[in-house]
Amino acid sequence: MEYFIQQLINGITLGSVYALIALGYTMVYGIIQLINFAHGEFFAAGGYVGVIFMSYLVSQGAPAWVCLSGSLILAMAYCAMLAVAVEKVAYKPLRNSSRLSVLLSALGMSIFLQNGLMLTQGVYDKPYPTELTQGGFELGNVMLSYMQLFIVSLTAFLLVALNVLVFKTRIGKAMRSTAQDKVMSALVGINANRTISITFAIGASLAAAAGIMVGLYYGSVRYDMGFVPGIKAFAAAVLGGIGNITGAMIGGFIIGMVEIFAAGYISGEYKDVFAFVILIAVLYFRPSGIMGENVDDTRV
Amino acid sequence: MKRLFLTVLLAAAVVMLGSGIAFAKTLKIGTMGPLTGPYAADGNDIKNGVLTAVEVVKANGGIAGFDEIEVLPQDTACEPRQAVATANKLINEGVNGVVGSYCSSATLPASEVLDEESIIMITPASTNEKVTSRGLPYMFRMCGRDDDQGAIAVKFMIEKLGAKSIYVVDDKTAYSQGLADGVEKMSAAAGLKVLGHEHVNQGDKDFSAILTKVKTEKPDVFYMSMQNSATGALMLIQAKRMGIKAAVLAQDAVYHPQLIEIAKDAAENVYLTFGYINDNAPAYKEFYSAYQPKFGSPGAYSGYAYDSAIAYLKAVEAAGSTDPAKVKAELMKLDYEGATKHVKFKANGDSGSNYIIRTVKDGKFSNYWNPATGELY
Repeated sequence: MEYFIQQLINGITLGSVYALIALGYTMVYGIIQLINFAHGEFFAAGGYVGVIFMSYLVSQGAPAWVCLSGSLILAMAYCAMLAVAVEKVAYKPLRNSSRLSVLLSALGMSIFLQNGLMLTQGVYDKPYPTELTQGGFELGNVMLSYMQLFIVSLTAFLLVALNVLVFKTRIGKAMRSTAQDKVMSALVGINANRTISITFAIGASLAAAAGIMVGLYYGSVRYDMGFVPGIKAFAAAVLGGIGNITGAMIGGFIIGMVEIFAAGYISGEYKDVFAFVILIAVLYFRPSGIMGENVDDTRV
Repeated sequence: MKRLFLTVLLAAAVVMLGSGIAFAKTLKIGTMGPLTGPYAADGNDIKNGVLTAVEVVKANGGIAGFDEIEVLPQDTACEPRQAVATANKLINEGVNGVVGSYCSSATLPASEVLDEESIIMITPASTNEKVTSRGLPYMFRMCGRDDDQGAIAVKFMIEKLGAKSIYVVDDKTAYSQGLADGVEKMSAAAGLKVLGHEHVNQGDKDFSAILTKVKTEKPDVFYMSMQNSATGALMLIQAKRMGIKAAVLAQDAVYHPQLIEIAKDAAENVYLTFGYINDNAPAYKEFYSAYQPKFGSPGAYSGYAYDSAIAYLKAVEAAGSTDPAKVKAELMKLDYEGATKHVKFKANGDSGSNYIIRTVKDGKFSNYWNPATGELY
């Protein structure tokens, strides 16, 4: 039982990270039907901005909450700007081209950003100041570290904030209407380009937050860290029904849980296989994903 | 008139330059190792070690008969296919000898290609037994071998730690899994209880599921065989956070300054098998003082790469040519105190293993246990 609870805690932590990254995929897809393969790189870039700024703050002797919140805000802001720039350079000029060209442009951007990180930051791992996040509770044999609590609660906070933003504000309304019909919403006075930029910015800043949490939790960041979680989060977004925000969250948690339980009960070697088997099974029986609407023939 | 004079001068300059090239003899040394990707730290250590060796030799007057010693670094990315491609590239560029590569899985195929052209290859880091057991005439090895390393690890667990049970985790590379399998087999034969042997994937960052298993099984020793020191560091951090009490024993690929830099206090008291290096030996000091200002503290294989290059250059100087047969004869005659070990090659190309147990104390690697005497350092 203790073993199960421990694995459950591990799964929720990992799932939170995937959920945060998956949100960016799903939002961008929802609004311009683009799988943004460069999204994993925003996650890595966020991790790097975080480690650079946090190491500086720690060396200046700032208190832990200043280090954490300061670097979090800075990394999120930086990645938001980076995403807007990427969108302007790589996607906007191709807005009216075929989907394939935009997809290739996204892949190219991903390689470009990853190599940029490698050239500017080096190929070595960069260590996070993990001394900020030591300790935790021990209940019987179950360990719950402060870092796990921090990850889960920050994820919950960001998810609630995002839901408020999308469903309760004017920007959210503009995003939803642009996603539904770009031309018509433009006719009623919504600036589609600005709305798309905002969507990219929000998605990337969530990925940046995930990058910092991963860096803190695991202890270091590396230039190519965005690739694998990027693929997993993409799977999570598809699993939940791409374009659907609640779906991406649920998908992220499912992928995280399946991965941990497969590793814990079956085999660490094949845990990724199980996650993707679940994905394929869901898509086979419910092609639109768990929370997705039924496929509408008129839109495809 | 002035123009004619200029033309003659120019012509003379060109002729002199041309003849200069014709007479200059360059000794070319290739290095092979992963300069990008997850193992880039080790590949760069090898490159830097060779660059340092060449610099030291040049500072001491160079090698008679050669005006220049050139280092040609190649990136194998730890992939067999790319390793073969880089070997061919080095052959095309006319290298005389090669120091490399890092991953055994890359060294094995690359050495076959180099051997066909009779180019001497000295590996500073590939520990797989097959590297020297295939009978390639021009293959040499500076570091130790996995079978020796595994035996020392098991001896240490039983004799010093008094272990009754172990749990083994590796990351599925030819090297790390081969070593872990060997340790598992030898442990079982020596009467240790193997509670489990798990594999993780390369590129994984989250080991919480596997570590929860380790914690539940309560082994005396957690044997961690990772190809990459940074991954090892991540595992140590998570193991500490998880509250695993077992002693941790790792191996030579995890032995890297990066381990302590990333894991910090989670790396304290970790045991590692690594070749014995006497940091007070004059040859080591010479290496360290040339390496450190340029590249920072030496990595795990910087010293072995340095010694490999020095050994090759010594042999070339003694042979007075780069003819592979002659250089090989001179290499076999070498018998001197290198920076990292006593250099004396055996008939199969190995230079012998001298594994000891090291540990991390106060954020530094230090010698811990001598398997030959069973005593602490």
